[in-house]
Amino acid sequence: MTRRRRLGAALVALLMGAALAQPLVSPLSNEDLPRLLAHGPWPPPPVHDPSNRASARPAAIGYGAALFHDTRLSRDGSLACASCHQPARGFSDGLPRSVGLQPGTRNTLGLDNVGQQRWLSWDGANDNLWAQSLRPLLDAREMGSSLAQVARTVRGDPGLRDGYRRAFGQDPGADDEAVAVDVAKALAAYQETLVSPRTPFDEFRDAVARGDRQAAAAYPAAAQRGLALFLGRGRCYVCHSGPTFSNGEFSDIGVPFFIGRGQVDPGRHGGIQVLQRSRYNLLGPFNDDASRSSATPTRHVLLEHRHFGEFKVPSLRNLARTAPYMHNGSLKTLREVLRHYSELDENRLHADGEAILVSLRLSEAETEDLLAFLDSLNAAATR
Amino acid sequence: MTGQAALALLVALAAGPALACGDSLGSGTRRIEDAQFLLVYKLMPEPVPVGRHFSIDFALCPRGAAPLPGEVRVDAQMPEHKHGMNYRPSVAPRGPGQYRAEGLMFHMPGRWELSFELRSPGAAPRRLSQSLQVG
Repeated sequence: MTRRRRLGAALVALLMGAALAQPLVSPLSNEDLPRLLAHGPWPPPPVHDPSNRASARPAAIGYGAALFHDTRLSRDGSLACASCHQPARGFSDGLPRSVGLQPGTRNTLGLDNVGQQRWLSWDGANDNLWAQSLRPLLDAREMGSSLAQVARTVRGDPGLRDGYRRAFGQDPGADDEAVAVDVAKALAAYQETLVSPRTPFDEFRDAVARGDRQAAAAYPAAAQRGLALFLGRGRCYVCHSGPTFSNGEFSDIGVPFFIGRGQVDPGRHGGIQVLQRSRYNLLGPFNDDASRSSATPTRHVLLEHRHFGEFKVPSLRNLARTAPYMHNGSLKTLREVLRHYSELDENRLHADGEAILVSLRLSEAETEDLLAFLDSLNAAATR
Repeated sequence: MTGQAALALLVALAAGPALACGDSLGSGTRRIEDAQFLLVYKLMPEPVPVGRHFSIDFALCPRGAAPLPGEVRVDAQMPEHKHGMNYRPSVAPRGPGQYRAEGLMFHMPGRWELSFELRSPGAAPRRLSQSLQVG
Protein backbone atom coordinates (compact mmCIF):
# COMPACT_ATOMS: atom_id res chain seq x y z
CA MET A 1 0.00 0.00 0.00
CA THR A 2 1.47 3.35 -1.00
CA ARG A 3 1.64 6.26 1.42
CA ARG A 4 -1.08 8.05 -0.57
CA ARG A 5 -3.40 5.04 -0.44
CA ARG A 6 -2.80 4.64 3.29
CA LEU A 7 -3.71 8.30 3.74
CA GLY A 8 -6.84 7.81 1.65
CA ALA A 9 -7.87 4.75 3.63
CA ALA A 10 -7.32 6.59 6.90
CA LEU A 11 -9.42 9.52 5.73
CA VAL A 12 -12.22 7.23 4.54
CA ALA A 13 -12.21 5.51 7.90
CA LEU A 14 -12.25 8.86 9.61
CA LEU A 15 -15.12 10.20 7.53
CA MET A 16 -17.18 7.04 7.79
CA GLY A 17 -16.62 6.70 11.51
CA ALA A 18 -19.70 5.78 13.52
CA ALA A 19 -18.97 8.57 15.95
CA LEU A 20 -19.73 11.28 13.41
CA ALA A 21 -22.00 13.87 14.98
CA GLN A 22 -23.16 14.89 11.49
CA PRO A 23 -22.36 11.96 9.19
CA LEU A 24 -21.63 12.67 5.58
CA VAL A 25 -24.55 11.80 3.35
CA SER A 26 -22.46 10.18 0.66
CA PRO A 27 -19.25 8.82 2.12
CA LEU A 28 -16.45 8.79 -0.38
CA SER A 29 -14.88 5.53 -1.39
CA ASN A 30 -11.25 4.65 -0.92
CA GLU A 31 -10.73 5.37 -4.62
CA ASP A 32 -12.55 8.71 -4.47
CA LEU A 33 -10.41 10.29 -1.76
CA PRO A 34 -7.22 10.92 -3.76
CA ARG A 35 -9.39 12.09 -6.67
CA LEU A 36 -11.09 14.59 -4.39
CA LEU A 37 -7.85 15.85 -2.90
CA ALA A 38 -6.34 16.32 -6.38
CA HIS A 39 -8.87 19.12 -6.99
CA GLY A 40 -7.07 21.44 -4.61
CA PRO A 41 -5.69 23.25 -2.81
CA TRP A 42 -7.13 26.57 -3.91
CA PRO A 43 -6.07 29.23 -4.73
CA PRO A 44 -2.93 28.14 -6.58
CA PRO A 45 0.39 29.96 -6.12
CA PRO A 46 0.53 33.32 -7.93
CA VAL A 47 1.50 33.10 -11.58
CA HIS A 48 4.91 34.21 -12.75
CA ASP A 49 5.17 33.64 -16.48
CA PRO A 50 8.85 33.45 -17.51
CA SER A 51 7.92 34.20 -21.12
CA ASN A 52 6.62 37.63 -20.11
CA ARG A 53 9.02 40.08 -18.46
CA ALA A 54 6.00 42.14 -17.33
CA SER A 55 4.46 39.20 -15.47
CA ALA A 56 3.77 39.83 -11.76
CA ARG A 57 5.11 43.39 -11.97
CA PRO A 58 2.66 45.75 -10.22
CA ALA A 59 3.24 48.63 -12.66
CA ALA A 60 2.55 46.33 -15.61
CA ILE A 61 -0.53 44.85 -13.93
CA GLY A 62 -1.99 48.31 -13.39
CA TYR A 63 -1.15 49.35 -16.92
CA GLY A 64 -2.71 46.16 -18.27
CA ALA A 65 -5.90 46.79 -16.28
CA ALA A 66 -6.21 50.24 -17.84
CA LEU A 67 -5.53 48.94 -21.33
CA PHE A 68 -8.10 46.18 -20.83
CA HIS A 69 -10.84 48.82 -20.63
CA ASP A 70 -9.43 51.15 -23.32
CA THR A 71 -11.51 51.27 -26.52
CA ARG A 72 -8.80 53.16 -28.39
CA LEU A 73 -7.04 49.87 -29.03
CA SER A 74 -9.78 48.82 -31.46
CA ARG A 75 -9.88 49.89 -35.09
CA ASP A 76 -12.86 52.24 -34.76
CA GLY A 77 -12.56 53.06 -31.05
CA SER A 78 -15.75 51.19 -30.20
CA LEU A 79 -14.47 48.07 -28.43
CA ALA A 80 -12.21 47.25 -25.51
CA CYS A 81 -11.20 43.82 -24.23
CA ALA A 82 -13.79 44.40 -21.49
CA SER A 83 -16.56 44.76 -24.08
CA CYS A 84 -16.64 40.99 -24.48
CA HIS A 85 -14.81 39.99 -21.29
CA GLN A 86 -17.15 41.69 -18.83
CA PRO A 87 -16.07 41.44 -15.19
CA ALA A 88 -19.64 41.03 -13.91
CA ARG A 89 -20.11 38.01 -16.19
CA GLY A 90 -16.99 36.16 -15.15
CA PHE A 91 -15.19 38.05 -17.92
CA SER A 92 -17.45 36.54 -20.59
CA ASP A 93 -20.34 38.25 -22.43
CA GLY A 94 -23.48 36.18 -21.90
CA LEU A 95 -23.90 35.64 -25.65
CA PRO A 96 -23.90 32.28 -27.43
CA ARG A 97 -21.16 33.43 -29.76
CA SER A 98 -18.93 36.46 -29.51
CA VAL A 99 -19.74 39.67 -31.36
CA GLY A 100 -16.85 41.99 -32.13
CA LEU A 101 -16.71 44.18 -35.19
CA GLN A 102 -18.23 41.13 -36.90
CA PRO A 103 -20.06 38.08 -35.53
CA GLY A 104 -17.82 35.28 -34.33
CA THR A 105 -18.32 31.53 -34.36
CA ARG A 106 -17.39 30.60 -30.80
CA ASN A 107 -18.53 31.34 -27.28
CA THR A 108 -16.47 33.93 -25.36
CA LEU A 109 -14.48 32.12 -22.70
CA GLY A 110 -14.34 33.67 -19.24
CA LEU A 111 -10.99 34.83 -17.93
CA ASP A 112 -11.08 33.63 -14.32
CA ASN A 113 -7.86 31.67 -13.67
CA VAL A 114 -6.71 32.21 -17.25
CA GLY A 115 -3.12 32.51 -16.01
CA GLN A 116 -3.24 28.82 -15.05
CA GLN A 117 -3.84 27.68 -18.60
CA ARG A 118 -1.29 25.98 -20.83
CA TRP A 119 -3.30 26.54 -24.01
CA LEU A 120 -5.53 29.52 -24.68
CA SER A 121 -8.83 29.69 -26.58
CA TRP A 122 -11.18 26.84 -27.45
CA ASP A 123 -8.66 25.45 -29.94
CA GLY A 124 -5.47 26.22 -28.01
CA ALA A 125 -4.10 28.24 -30.91
CA ASN A 126 -1.90 30.19 -28.50
CA ASP A 127 0.53 28.80 -25.96
CA ASN A 128 0.84 31.96 -23.88
CA LEU A 129 -1.41 34.65 -22.53
CA TRP A 130 0.29 37.61 -24.20
CA ALA A 131 -0.08 36.10 -27.68
CA GLN A 132 -3.69 35.33 -26.84
CA SER A 133 -4.15 38.97 -25.78
CA LEU A 134 -2.65 40.25 -29.02
CA ARG A 135 -4.84 38.07 -31.23
CA PRO A 136 -8.23 39.82 -30.69
CA LEU A 137 -6.58 43.23 -31.07
CA LEU A 138 -5.52 42.29 -34.59
CA ASP A 139 -8.40 40.01 -35.64
CA ALA A 140 -10.64 41.81 -38.16
CA ARG A 141 -13.74 40.10 -36.66
CA GLU A 142 -12.92 41.27 -33.15
CA MET A 143 -11.15 44.59 -32.47
CA GLY A 144 -9.76 44.89 -35.98
CA SER A 145 -6.71 46.95 -35.07
CA SER A 146 -3.14 46.64 -36.33
CA LEU A 147 0.34 46.57 -34.85
CA ALA A 148 0.85 50.10 -36.17
CA GLN A 149 -2.41 51.43 -34.71
CA VAL A 150 -1.76 49.91 -31.28
CA ALA A 151 1.79 51.29 -31.19
CA ARG A 152 0.67 54.70 -32.49
CA THR A 153 -2.05 54.90 -29.85
CA VAL A 154 0.41 54.15 -27.04
CA ARG A 155 3.04 56.54 -28.33
CA GLY A 156 0.52 59.29 -28.96
CA ASP A 157 -1.23 59.43 -25.61
CA PRO A 158 0.71 60.88 -22.64
CA GLY A 159 -1.07 58.63 -20.13
CA LEU A 160 -0.50 55.45 -22.11
CA ARG A 161 3.09 56.43 -22.85
CA ASP A 162 3.74 57.08 -19.17
CA GLY A 163 2.12 53.78 -18.22
CA TYR A 164 4.31 51.97 -20.74
CA ARG A 165 7.42 53.61 -19.28
CA ARG A 166 6.49 52.56 -15.75
CA ALA A 167 5.66 49.02 -16.85
CA PHE A 168 8.69 48.38 -19.04
CA GLY A 169 11.29 50.87 -17.78
CA GLN A 170 11.63 52.67 -21.08
CA ASP A 171 9.64 54.72 -23.57
CA PRO A 172 7.83 52.88 -26.37
CA GLY A 173 10.31 52.48 -29.21
CA ALA A 174 9.97 52.88 -32.95
CA ASP A 175 9.27 49.21 -33.63
CA ASP A 176 5.47 48.88 -33.90
CA GLU A 177 5.49 45.12 -33.40
CA ALA A 178 7.64 45.30 -30.26
CA VAL A 179 5.37 47.96 -28.73
CA ALA A 180 2.20 46.04 -29.58
CA VAL A 181 3.60 42.82 -28.11
CA ASP A 182 4.49 44.73 -24.93
CA VAL A 183 0.92 46.04 -24.76
CA ALA A 184 -0.22 42.43 -24.97
CA LYS A 185 2.25 41.46 -22.24
CA ALA A 186 0.84 44.14 -19.93
CA LEU A 187 -2.67 42.88 -20.71
CA ALA A 188 -1.50 39.38 -19.82
CA ALA A 189 0.11 40.56 -16.57
CA TYR A 190 -3.28 41.97 -15.54
CA GLN A 191 -5.24 38.87 -16.54
CA GLU A 192 -2.89 36.63 -14.55
CA THR A 193 -4.29 38.28 -11.44
CA LEU A 194 -7.88 37.20 -12.22
CA VAL A 195 -8.17 34.32 -9.77
CA SER A 196 -11.56 33.07 -8.68
CA PRO A 197 -12.18 33.08 -4.91
CA ARG A 198 -12.43 30.04 -2.68
CA THR A 199 -15.68 28.12 -2.83
CA PRO A 200 -17.76 25.85 -0.57
CA PHE A 201 -16.15 22.92 -2.38
CA ASP A 202 -12.69 24.18 -1.39
CA GLU A 203 -13.78 24.38 2.24
CA PHE A 204 -15.02 20.78 2.04
CA ARG A 205 -11.94 19.50 0.25
CA ASP A 206 -9.60 21.10 2.78
CA ALA A 207 -11.70 19.87 5.71
CA VAL A 208 -11.38 16.32 4.36
CA ALA A 209 -7.65 16.80 3.84
CA ARG A 210 -7.12 17.76 7.47
CA GLY A 211 -9.63 15.23 8.81
CA ASP A 212 -12.04 17.85 10.17
CA ARG A 213 -15.30 15.88 10.16
CA GLN A 214 -17.44 18.69 11.52
CA ALA A 215 -16.34 21.18 8.88
CA ALA A 216 -16.69 18.56 6.14
CA ALA A 217 -20.24 17.75 7.21
CA ALA A 218 -21.23 21.39 6.59
CA TYR A 219 -20.98 20.73 2.85
CA PRO A 220 -24.56 20.43 1.51
CA ALA A 221 -25.84 16.87 1.26
CA ALA A 222 -26.89 17.23 -2.38
CA ALA A 223 -23.44 18.57 -3.28
CA GLN A 224 -21.86 15.58 -1.54
CA ARG A 225 -23.98 13.21 -3.61
CA GLY A 226 -23.16 15.16 -6.77
CA LEU A 227 -19.46 15.02 -5.95
CA ALA A 228 -19.68 11.26 -5.49
CA LEU A 229 -21.23 11.03 -8.98
CA PHE A 230 -18.58 13.36 -10.41
CA LEU A 231 -15.78 11.21 -9.02
CA GLY A 232 -17.56 7.88 -9.43
CA ARG A 233 -20.05 6.71 -12.04
CA GLY A 234 -19.90 9.93 -14.05
CA ARG A 235 -16.09 9.80 -14.33
CA CYS A 236 -16.20 13.55 -14.97
CA TYR A 237 -12.90 13.92 -13.09
CA VAL A 238 -11.02 12.15 -15.89
CA CYS A 239 -11.02 15.36 -17.96
CA HIS A 240 -12.14 17.91 -15.35
CA SER A 241 -9.15 17.20 -13.12
CA GLY A 242 -6.88 19.23 -10.89
CA PRO A 243 -7.54 22.43 -8.94
CA THR A 244 -9.01 24.24 -11.97
CA PHE A 245 -11.25 21.27 -12.81
CA SER A 246 -9.65 20.98 -16.25
CA ASN A 247 -6.75 18.90 -17.52
CA GLY A 248 -5.96 21.80 -19.85
CA GLU A 249 -6.31 19.63 -22.94
CA PHE A 250 -8.98 19.02 -25.59
CA SER A 251 -11.83 16.57 -26.15
CA ASP A 252 -14.55 15.76 -28.62
CA ILE A 253 -17.70 15.35 -26.56
CA GLY A 254 -20.14 15.23 -29.43
CA VAL A 255 -21.00 18.92 -29.69
CA PRO A 256 -21.55 19.71 -33.39
CA PHE A 257 -18.75 21.59 -35.09
CA PHE A 258 -20.66 22.73 -38.18
CA ILE A 259 -20.72 26.52 -38.27
CA GLY A 260 -22.65 27.16 -41.44
CA ARG A 261 -23.38 25.78 -44.85
CA GLY A 262 -20.35 23.74 -45.88
CA GLN A 263 -18.26 25.13 -43.03
CA VAL A 264 -16.83 23.36 -40.02
CA ASP A 265 -14.85 24.48 -37.01
CA PRO A 266 -11.82 22.16 -36.94
CA GLY A 267 -11.19 22.92 -33.26
CA ARG A 268 -7.86 21.68 -31.91
CA HIS A 269 -6.74 20.37 -35.32
CA GLY A 270 -6.80 23.89 -36.71
CA GLY A 271 -5.53 25.40 -33.47
CA ILE A 272 -2.31 23.41 -33.54
CA GLN A 273 -1.63 24.51 -37.10
CA VAL A 274 -2.21 28.17 -36.21
CA LEU A 275 0.03 27.76 -33.18
CA GLN A 276 2.86 26.24 -35.19
CA ARG A 277 2.69 29.04 -37.76
CA SER A 278 2.52 31.81 -35.18
CA ARG A 279 5.35 34.27 -34.82
CA TYR A 280 4.16 34.85 -31.25
CA ASN A 281 4.41 31.30 -29.93
CA LEU A 282 6.92 30.38 -27.23
CA LEU A 283 9.43 29.14 -29.80
CA GLY A 284 9.41 32.57 -31.44
CA PRO A 285 11.46 35.73 -30.95
CA PHE A 286 9.18 37.41 -28.39
CA ASN A 287 9.50 34.83 -25.61
CA ASP A 288 11.38 36.54 -22.75
CA ASP A 289 12.40 33.14 -21.32
CA ALA A 290 15.94 32.74 -22.67
CA SER A 291 16.04 29.09 -21.58
CA ARG A 292 12.95 28.32 -23.72
CA SER A 293 11.99 25.73 -21.10
CA SER A 294 8.52 27.30 -21.12
CA ALA A 295 8.19 26.11 -24.74
CA THR A 296 8.23 22.39 -23.90
CA PRO A 297 4.52 21.84 -24.70
CA THR A 298 4.79 23.71 -28.00
CA ARG A 299 7.96 21.89 -29.01
CA HIS A 300 6.33 18.50 -28.48
CA VAL A 301 2.67 19.06 -29.37
CA LEU A 302 1.36 16.43 -31.74
CA LEU A 303 -0.98 17.08 -34.68
CA GLU A 304 -3.15 14.09 -35.51
CA HIS A 305 -6.45 13.62 -37.30
CA ARG A 306 -8.13 12.71 -33.99
CA HIS A 307 -7.76 16.35 -32.92
CA PHE A 308 -10.36 17.39 -35.47
CA GLY A 309 -13.47 18.54 -33.65
CA GLU A 310 -11.80 18.59 -30.25
CA PHE A 311 -12.29 21.65 -28.09
CA LYS A 312 -10.80 22.76 -24.83
CA VAL A 313 -11.88 21.12 -21.59
CA PRO A 314 -13.12 24.20 -19.73
CA SER A 315 -12.64 24.89 -16.06
CA LEU A 316 -15.73 24.29 -13.92
CA ARG A 317 -15.00 27.06 -11.41
CA ASN A 318 -17.49 29.93 -11.27
CA LEU A 319 -19.61 28.53 -14.08
CA ALA A 320 -22.76 30.31 -12.89
CA ARG A 321 -21.61 33.60 -14.39
CA THR A 322 -20.44 32.32 -17.78
CA ALA A 323 -23.56 30.91 -19.45
CA PRO A 324 -24.21 29.89 -22.17
CA TYR A 325 -21.97 26.85 -22.47
CA MET A 326 -19.92 24.77 -24.92
CA HIS A 327 -17.58 26.08 -27.61
CA ASN A 328 -20.49 27.24 -29.73
CA GLY A 329 -22.62 28.52 -26.86
CA SER A 330 -25.36 26.10 -27.87
CA LEU A 331 -26.45 25.11 -24.34
CA LYS A 332 -28.12 27.82 -22.30
CA THR A 333 -27.97 26.29 -18.84
CA LEU A 334 -25.96 23.79 -16.84
CA ARG A 335 -29.07 21.62 -16.74
CA GLU A 336 -28.87 21.43 -20.55
CA VAL A 337 -25.17 20.57 -20.30
CA LEU A 338 -25.97 17.68 -17.95
CA ARG A 339 -28.74 16.56 -20.30
CA HIS A 340 -26.17 16.49 -23.10
CA TYR A 341 -24.03 14.06 -21.12
CA SER A 342 -27.05 12.15 -19.91
CA GLU A 343 -28.50 11.56 -23.36
CA LEU A 344 -25.32 11.42 -25.39
CA ASP A 345 -25.91 9.48 -28.58
CA GLU A 346 -22.77 7.39 -28.70
CA ASN A 347 -23.45 6.40 -32.31
CA ARG A 348 -23.47 10.04 -33.40
CA LEU A 349 -20.32 10.92 -31.53
CA HIS A 350 -17.45 11.82 -33.81
CA ALA A 351 -15.56 8.67 -34.78
CA ASP A 352 -12.45 9.90 -33.01
CA GLY A 353 -14.31 11.20 -29.96
CA GLU A 354 -13.47 10.18 -26.45
CA ALA A 355 -13.86 6.41 -26.34
CA ILE A 356 -14.69 6.57 -22.65
CA LEU A 357 -17.77 8.74 -23.18
CA VAL A 358 -21.05 6.96 -22.47
CA SER A 359 -24.47 8.44 -21.94
CA LEU A 360 -24.91 8.83 -18.20
CA ARG A 361 -28.70 8.31 -18.13
CA LEU A 362 -29.00 10.58 -15.11
CA SER A 363 -32.16 10.48 -13.01
CA GLU A 364 -33.81 13.76 -12.07
CA ALA A 365 -32.42 13.39 -8.55
CA GLU A 366 -28.90 12.77 -9.86
CA THR A 367 -29.17 15.83 -12.11
CA GLU A 368 -30.17 17.94 -9.13
CA ASP A 369 -27.25 16.56 -7.12
CA LEU A 370 -24.75 17.32 -9.87
CA LEU A 371 -26.17 20.83 -10.20
CA ALA A 372 -25.73 21.29 -6.46
CA PHE A 373 -22.14 20.10 -6.73
CA LEU A 374 -21.40 22.45 -9.66
CA ASP A 375 -23.00 25.27 -7.71
CA SER A 376 -20.55 24.59 -4.88
CA LEU A 377 -17.77 25.50 -7.31
CA ASN A 378 -19.03 29.08 -7.39
CA ALA A 379 -17.52 31.63 -5.08
CA ALA A 380 -20.99 32.39 -3.71
CA ALA A 381 -23.81 29.89 -3.83
CA THR A 382 -26.25 30.86 -6.58
CA ARG A 383 -29.16 28.44 -6.23
CA MET B 1 55.47 -2.60 -3.04
CA THR B 2 56.97 -3.21 -6.41
CA GLY B 3 56.30 -0.89 -9.29
CA GLN B 4 54.16 -3.52 -11.00
CA ALA B 5 52.04 -4.09 -7.89
CA ALA B 6 51.51 -0.35 -7.44
CA LEU B 7 50.45 -0.06 -11.09
CA ALA B 8 48.00 -2.93 -10.68
CA LEU B 9 46.51 -1.29 -7.58
CA LEU B 10 46.12 2.02 -9.39
CA VAL B 11 44.38 0.32 -12.32
CA ALA B 12 42.04 -1.48 -9.93
CA LEU B 13 41.23 1.75 -8.06
CA ALA B 14 40.64 3.61 -11.28
CA ALA B 15 38.31 0.94 -12.57
CA GLY B 16 36.34 0.88 -9.30
CA PRO B 17 33.47 -1.50 -8.66
CA ALA B 18 31.43 -2.33 -11.74
CA LEU B 19 28.30 -0.13 -11.92
CA ALA B 20 25.01 -1.97 -12.29
CA CYS B 21 22.66 -0.87 -15.05
CA GLY B 22 20.98 2.42 -14.15
CA ASP B 23 22.98 3.01 -10.96
CA SER B 24 23.73 6.54 -12.12
CA LEU B 25 19.98 7.30 -12.00
CA GLY B 26 19.92 7.03 -8.22
CA SER B 27 16.93 5.74 -6.27
CA GLY B 28 13.29 5.44 -7.35
CA THR B 29 13.97 3.63 -10.60
CA ARG B 30 11.81 1.06 -12.43
CA ARG B 31 12.96 -1.83 -14.60
CA ILE B 32 11.82 -3.49 -17.80
CA GLU B 33 13.71 -6.41 -19.26
CA ASP B 34 13.55 -8.90 -22.05
CA ALA B 35 15.95 -11.48 -23.46
CA GLN B 36 18.29 -8.89 -24.98
CA PHE B 37 18.02 -5.73 -22.87
CA LEU B 38 17.59 -4.42 -19.38
CA LEU B 39 16.08 -0.93 -19.28
CA VAL B 40 16.13 1.05 -16.04
CA TYR B 41 14.20 4.31 -15.96
CA LYS B 42 13.31 7.10 -13.62
CA LEU B 43 10.22 9.31 -13.91
CA MET B 44 10.86 12.97 -13.16
CA PRO B 45 8.98 13.98 -11.14
CA GLU B 46 7.70 10.87 -9.40
CA PRO B 47 4.78 10.47 -9.01
CA VAL B 48 3.89 11.92 -12.36
CA PRO B 49 1.21 14.62 -11.97
CA VAL B 50 -1.80 14.40 -14.27
CA GLY B 51 -1.84 17.11 -16.90
CA ARG B 52 1.76 18.25 -16.39
CA HIS B 53 4.78 17.60 -18.57
CA PHE B 54 7.46 15.28 -17.25
CA SER B 55 10.67 13.66 -18.39
CA ILE B 56 12.29 10.25 -18.09
CA ASP B 57 15.96 9.44 -17.62
CA PHE B 58 16.79 5.90 -18.61
CA ALA B 59 19.67 3.51 -19.07
CA LEU B 60 19.65 0.73 -21.62
CA CYS B 61 21.96 -2.21 -20.98
CA PRO B 62 22.38 -4.99 -23.54
CA ARG B 63 22.63 -8.51 -22.27
CA GLY B 64 25.68 -10.24 -23.68
CA ALA B 65 26.96 -8.90 -26.96
CA ALA B 66 23.78 -7.24 -28.22
CA PRO B 67 24.61 -3.80 -29.64
CA LEU B 68 22.84 -0.65 -28.47
CA PRO B 69 20.03 0.42 -30.82
CA GLY B 70 20.58 3.24 -33.26
CA GLU B 71 17.48 5.06 -32.05
CA VAL B 72 15.12 4.87 -29.08
CA ARG B 73 11.56 6.23 -29.16
CA VAL B 74 9.33 6.71 -26.15
CA ASP B 75 5.55 6.79 -26.27
CA ALA B 76 2.52 6.02 -24.11
CA GLN B 77 -1.05 4.89 -24.68
CA MET B 78 -4.21 4.55 -22.61
CA PRO B 79 -5.43 1.13 -23.76
CA GLU B 80 -8.90 1.47 -22.21
CA HIS B 81 -9.40 4.91 -23.76
CA LYS B 82 -7.85 3.94 -27.11
CA HIS B 83 -5.70 7.06 -27.36
CA GLY B 84 -2.16 8.11 -26.77
CA MET B 85 -0.54 11.28 -25.52
CA ASN B 86 -1.13 14.65 -27.14
CA TYR B 87 2.63 15.14 -27.36
CA ARG B 88 5.51 13.43 -29.16
CA PRO B 89 8.42 13.03 -26.74
CA SER B 90 11.98 13.69 -27.84
CA VAL B 91 14.79 11.35 -26.80
CA ALA B 92 18.38 12.56 -26.51
CA PRO B 93 21.41 10.39 -25.66
CA ARG B 94 23.37 11.48 -22.59
CA GLY B 95 26.22 9.00 -22.91
CA PRO B 96 26.62 5.37 -24.01
CA GLY B 97 23.34 3.66 -23.18
CA GLN B 98 22.07 6.71 -21.27
CA TYR B 99 19.10 8.77 -22.48
CA ARG B 100 16.64 11.47 -21.49
CA ALA B 101 13.08 11.62 -22.87
CA GLU B 102 11.30 14.96 -22.63
CA GLY B 103 7.87 16.31 -23.53
CA LEU B 104 5.70 13.53 -22.11
CA MET B 105 2.34 14.29 -20.54
CA PHE B 106 -0.39 12.04 -19.16
CA HIS B 107 -3.47 14.20 -19.62
CA MET B 108 -5.85 11.84 -17.88
CA PRO B 109 -5.69 9.76 -14.73
CA GLY B 110 -5.83 6.00 -15.22
CA ARG B 111 -3.71 3.22 -16.66
CA TRP B 112 -1.06 4.21 -19.16
CA GLU B 113 1.15 1.84 -21.12
CA LEU B 114 4.63 3.38 -21.34
CA SER B 115 6.73 1.99 -24.18
CA PHE B 116 10.33 2.23 -25.31
CA GLU B 117 10.89 1.28 -28.93
CA LEU B 118 14.43 0.25 -29.83
CA ARG B 119 15.21 0.71 -33.51
CA SER B 120 18.27 -0.38 -35.46
CA PRO B 121 18.87 -0.45 -39.21
CA GLY B 122 17.91 -3.76 -40.76
CA ALA B 123 16.18 -5.10 -37.66
CA ALA B 124 12.58 -5.15 -36.57
CA PRO B 125 11.81 -2.59 -33.83
CA ARG B 126 11.98 -4.06 -30.34
CA ARG B 127 9.44 -2.85 -27.78
CA LEU B 128 9.80 -2.74 -24.02
CA SER B 129 6.70 -1.59 -22.19
CA GLN B 130 5.22 -1.30 -18.74
CA SER B 131 1.89 -0.27 -17.23
CA LEU B 132 1.71 2.76 -14.97
CA GLN B 133 -1.25 3.76 -12.82
CA VAL B 134 -1.49 7.56 -12.88
CA GLY B 135 -3.48 9.82 -10.58
